[in-house]
Amino acid sequence: MKLLFFVTFAVYAAAVALEFTGTAFRKEKLLKAAWIVFLAAFALHTVFFVARGVAAKRLPLSNQFEFASGFACGAALLSIVLCGRGKADWLKVAALPAVLLIMTYAALQPMEIRDLMPALRSAWFGVHIGSAVLAYAAFVIAGCIGARYLVFSKRQEPDKKALDQMDFLSYRLVSFGFLFLTVVILSGAIWAEQAWSSFWSWDPKEVWALITWIIYAVYLHMRLRSGRKGKKMAWFLVIAVFLVFFTFAGVNTLMHGMHTYG
Amino acid sequence: MKKIIGYLRSMRFGILLLALIAACSVIGTVIPQEREVAWYAQNYGSIHGAILLLRLDRIFTGWFFILLLGLLGLNLTLCSILRIAAVARAAKDEKGRTARLRDTVLLTPEGVAALREKLLGMRCRVEKIGDCEVYTKRGLGRYGSFVTHLSILLTLVFGALALYTPTVTDRSCMPGESIRMSDGTEIYVQDFRITDETGRLDYTSHVRVTLPDGRRSELAELKVNHPFRFGGCKLFQQSFGTAGSVTVTNLETGGTDVFLLDSMSYLTIDSRNGIIFEQLYPDYLRAPDGEVTLITRTEGAYPNPIYAFEILADGAYTPSLAVPGDSLEILGLRFTFNAPTDYPGLRIKQVPTLYNSLLVAAFCLMIVGLYVTFFCDPVAVKLDAEGCAVGGPKPERMRIELADWGEEYLRESEEEA
Ligand code: HEM
Repeated sequence: MKLLFFVTFAVYAAAVALEFTGTAFRKEKLLKAAWIVFLAAFALHTVFFVARGVAAKRLPLSNQFEFASGFACGAALLSIVLCGRGKADWLKVAALPAVLLIMTYAALQPMEIRDLMPALRSAWFGVHIGSAVLAYAAFVIAGCIGARYLVFSKRQEPDKKALDQMDFLSYRLVSFGFLFLTVVILSGAIWAEQAWSSFWSWDPKEVWALITWIIYAVYLHMRLRSGRKGKKMAWFLVIAVFLVFFTFAGVNTLMHGMHTYG
Repeated sequence: MKKIIGYLRSMRFGILLLALIAACSVIGTVIPQEREVAWYAQNYGSIHGAILLLRLDRIFTGWFFILLLGLLGLNLTLCSILRIAAVARAAKDEKGRTARLRDTVLLTPEGVAALREKLLGMRCRVEKIGDCEVYTKRGLGRYGSFVTHLSILLTLVFGALALYTPTVTDRSCMPGESIRMSDGTEIYVQDFRITDETGRLDYTSHVRVTLPDGRRSELAELKVNHPFRFGGCKLFQQSFGTAGSVTVTNLETGGTDVFLLDSMSYLTIDSRNGIIFEQLYPDYLRAPDGEVTLITRTEGAYPNPIYAFEILADGAYTPSLAVPGDSLEILGLRFTFNAPTDYPGLRIKQVPTLYNSLLVAAFCLMIVGLYVTFFCDPVAVKLDAEGCAVGGPKPERMRIELADWGEEYLRESEEEA
């Protein structure tokens, strides 16, 4: 099982190397190869995810390693959906390394399969954690688009239509992620009432999930109401990705709370 | 006054409040909350005074935080109430306004036909106004943000009720015994087990609740994640413990008594002879030379329980160990150590069912509101012989879609028509 994970990791790494080389030397063929290798890595990742689920006899998202691996898989899936129609090829150069980065974090976590502890044996397990995977993946890909926007807009005569599309796509992704983050927090609250007897305990993970929610709510308000677009909002998205990583990894490593067993 | 209300309902104020709530939340996770004063003095040195003065040690229950939440509630109320009328008014005249828009995309005649087909394919409603057609769809989408704001407001209100009105009591109860609450509610615990048949941890007990009005529940299973509710009483499997016990027999009279051993206990007849129970250990290792190493494991049932106690004989103490089944005699008394008993720690929450249900309903409303806000963008497109224009409260998606659609149908100026 470990071997399959590391093979997947290596194939993702190869895809990133090809993508970078292809972009640097403007070689179309290399870029095409990078995408095919990336699709292969995603296929392997899916096999790994299913195999791990079968071995653990549950949804394999219960600890830091499994969640990070699922998160990378979610980000890869979103990239494939977005780039698949050929309308967002510009996303690849930012999204592929982001997936690899999340995989790197996963690779550094303990990987053994453990039995689910009683507090986690609940119908809410899949809803809560599955939504977190989708939400985080959407925020990361939105951040990648933000980064791409910033690089693209530096060009002498950037294509206005492409910039508008990037801006809109990142907004759509944030809306998607925001909806799912809301599901994470609300399902978490309902679950917390069943497992710990209170909807909300100001546990560090709860608080940081709320902070992340607030920050993306601010983004959406600025975008929806004041119609703000462009570079400022792209910077916002790039910076917000660090917040997502902090909520995910920083809280688990630096703060002690009820999610620590995760 | 108008200016003040204008500010209180503004998005700018809402964002400021959200930013302040986020900032307080950061502080609340960086500075550990609700510790003893001495702890802050020890860990924060000279600034601990400022932390305590500003109540940063209990930020989430401090007046400043509560005020921020209250103001957020006010902001949401004002912005929702005052805006809903304007949104509804705008909806009434939406088609007329869209019809009056100037074409922003000029189309070839084939383009006009193709767009008409595309809009009909999208199942838009169509209305002829003057010499143009107005296509509309998902008009309800404009109410998404109202529903979302309302649901956040309800979440704040019902959340406060669900969090702060229950009375919560933690009590442990030996199997076969009952707990009586101050209001007369009685909770009977029939049995408790830490692991299931396969050895997996599952902390399950069977309980029965009798309410003060005499209503009595069936015997119900209680375990982690599966609380048991009866009337306004909700029981949670919160913790567990393992208590030892010893049977004391008076060898002269033959009388026996069983004593529960869950904390340090003195069992003596004259204060100079007897045993002093110290602790029950879950497991131990015995070396070939007979030396025993005690193991303090905390997870799960005790695999090899062992009692640590002192024998008190004529005022002299001798440390000793015993396993269940062992017995010893001291001055006419026989002490027999029994197999320990596992017992549950229950959390008893007394809360009206209604509050939790209302809060969950507010959660559902929030999900619906967000879905409608982000995924049901209203469509309003004006189409005439020259081209089209996109109107409505959220034209961006349609504009982007059209910008990407059929470049061959676009024309730049009148001459190409
Ligand atoms: C209001 C309550 C809750 C909130 C806001 C919340 C928030 C989150 C968030 C944001 C994640 C995403 C992954 C991460 O950042 O680590 C997560 C994951 C997770 N949650 Fe919750 N949660 C809540 C309640 C619960 C409850 C009650 C349980 C179980 C009893 C639980 C178990 C988990 C587990 C096992 C994971 C995935 C593993 C991990 O990475 O830690 N959560 N939660």
